[in-house]
Amino acid sequence: MSVAVMIAIFIILASSYNLVIGYGGLATVAHPIFFALGAYTAGLLAIHTGLSAPLCIAAGAIVAIAASILLAASALRVSGDYLLIASLGFQLGLLQMIRNFEWTGGPGGLTDIPSTITGAARTPAYLAICGAVAAATVALIAWIVRGPYGRAITAMRDEELAFTALGRNAMNLKIVLFAIGCGIAGIAGGLYAFYYQYLSPEQFDVLQSATILTMVVLGGMGTTWGPVVGAALLLAIPQAITFLDLPPAIMAPAQGIIFTGLVLVFLFLRPSGLIGTSGRGAMPAALGVHDHSGEGT
Amino acid sequence: MTEILRLTGVCKAFGGIVVADDINLSIDAGEILGLIGPNGAGKTSLFNLISGVVRPDAGRIMLQGAPIDGMPLYRRARHGIARTWQNMLLFTSMSVMENLLIAPRDYPGESALLLAFGRTAIWRAEAEMRARGMAILARMDLAQAADTMVTDLPFGHQKLVGLARTLMNDGALLLLDEPMAGVEGAAYETMQRIVREEAASGRAVCVVEHNVSFIKDLCTRAVFMAQGRILQTGSVHELLASEALTELYFGV
Repeated sequence: MSVAVMIAIFIILASSYNLVIGYGGLATVAHPIFFALGAYTAGLLAIHTGLSAPLCIAAGAIVAIAASILLAASALRVSGDYLLIASLGFQLGLLQMIRNFEWTGGPGGLTDIPSTITGAARTPAYLAICGAVAAATVALIAWIVRGPYGRAITAMRDEELAFTALGRNAMNLKIVLFAIGCGIAGIAGGLYAFYYQYLSPEQFDVLQSATILTMVVLGGMGTTWGPVVGAALLLAIPQAITFLDLPPAIMAPAQGIIFTGLVLVFLFLRPSGLIGTSGRGAMPAALGVHDHSGEGT
Repeated sequence: MTEILRLTGVCKAFGGIVVADDINLSIDAGEILGLIGPNGAGKTSLFNLISGVVRPDAGRIMLQGAPIDGMPLYRRARHGIARTWQNMLLFTSMSVMENLLIAPRDYPGESALLLAFGRTAIWRAEAEMRARGMAILARMDLAQAADTMVTDLPFGHQKLVGLARTLMNDGALLLLDEPMAGVEGAAYETMQRIVREEAASGRAVCVVEHNVSFIKDLCTRAVFMAQGRILQTGSVHELLASEALTELYFGV
């Protein structure tokens, strides 16, 4: 049951990361820190103020959005590639601060986040809430990438120079996409804080972005359902092999091997993911352009 | 004739490489101006300066009397500068019509606010743009290809789509970077006809082209460039008759 809550939270994270990196083509590794900003903001507000849980979570999302605009507006001004480096610095720097401030709980983590729902129905209630937010996230992203707005996103990813020269403000579009994605990660953080009631800086480490990216790639980058499938699979498989009752000494490495193995298998056999339209279908289309230009000259 | 574009003393250098050296140039409405010169003469760089891909180090660029040299690329397009690219830069994962729909000067679909609160405005604009796109494609005999993926089209047709996309911007200035490179047959005729029609409708057109017969057929006036400088301006016949220039160009 608690794995299901985890899966719902990671569906929110993976879907929002997919919006930024898969649809928007914005290379960032800072997704865990926006997750953390949402979690810590919600947790701290819940501890120190009498705000209701939804308001704490909303505040977390707003902090994440504000921070994302700060990062994107400064990094993207230099160039698109710069975002990757800037996001890495942002992720490492902010997490280091969280780890060292006293009021964030320091390296020991933030404890005593009040539980808003108690009793036997706690986990089912959180599952319903997180599941609903996950469904809403998937629906929102599907809605964003459809129609004229989605077309602009695709065109920007295809040929940014031509896109801009046609009068479209690529910078603006990127900042908005980035803010939406990071804001959703902030919401996931808020839910996480209230469900687990305990936050540790280690949970928001930069390696988390590798986990989330794996979910996105495995399921299908730039597809609506890919991150959903990816998150569910990657969290369920390690759980599934616990039934094999292996000794812990074999268990931990086995999970790592399965994890890495899956990524390699998918990169070879289905580079566009489980949900992505025929893995290799994208290749000839891209190569087709070169074929034609060869004809021309 | 109304002057559409004027460049005064425009200079640009990348490190030690001078791509524009005191360029003075004007283009009138209805005119088709040819830019010719050897590779590396600075023709495409001049397009980049005018359209806003790069900013000049010095000098002024005026579009219909208003300075544009401080404007970013996307804003110049909205002010009416439409350009094509040597290597087309089509949106390869999209259909022909989708390529066109991105290109009008005003695209309400890129605003997240409108997306959330003004869907009807977007859809109304969308229907209008689709109709305009179909009309442009029909002029090129490409209406039946509207829903084809651009990468599935033959090269000549892709070039035409590049031009059609640019025509969705109904601004005063049209910059065409090697529109004929690799184009032959029916597509060649169509390209020529469309360029002529656009100029006749009162647009200022500037063409970079190595195909001398295309320049000869179409251009009212031509500019010869080499090493970032304008060496001579005149009728195409005058320029081609100049021995010094043909020597530079053809290396004979």
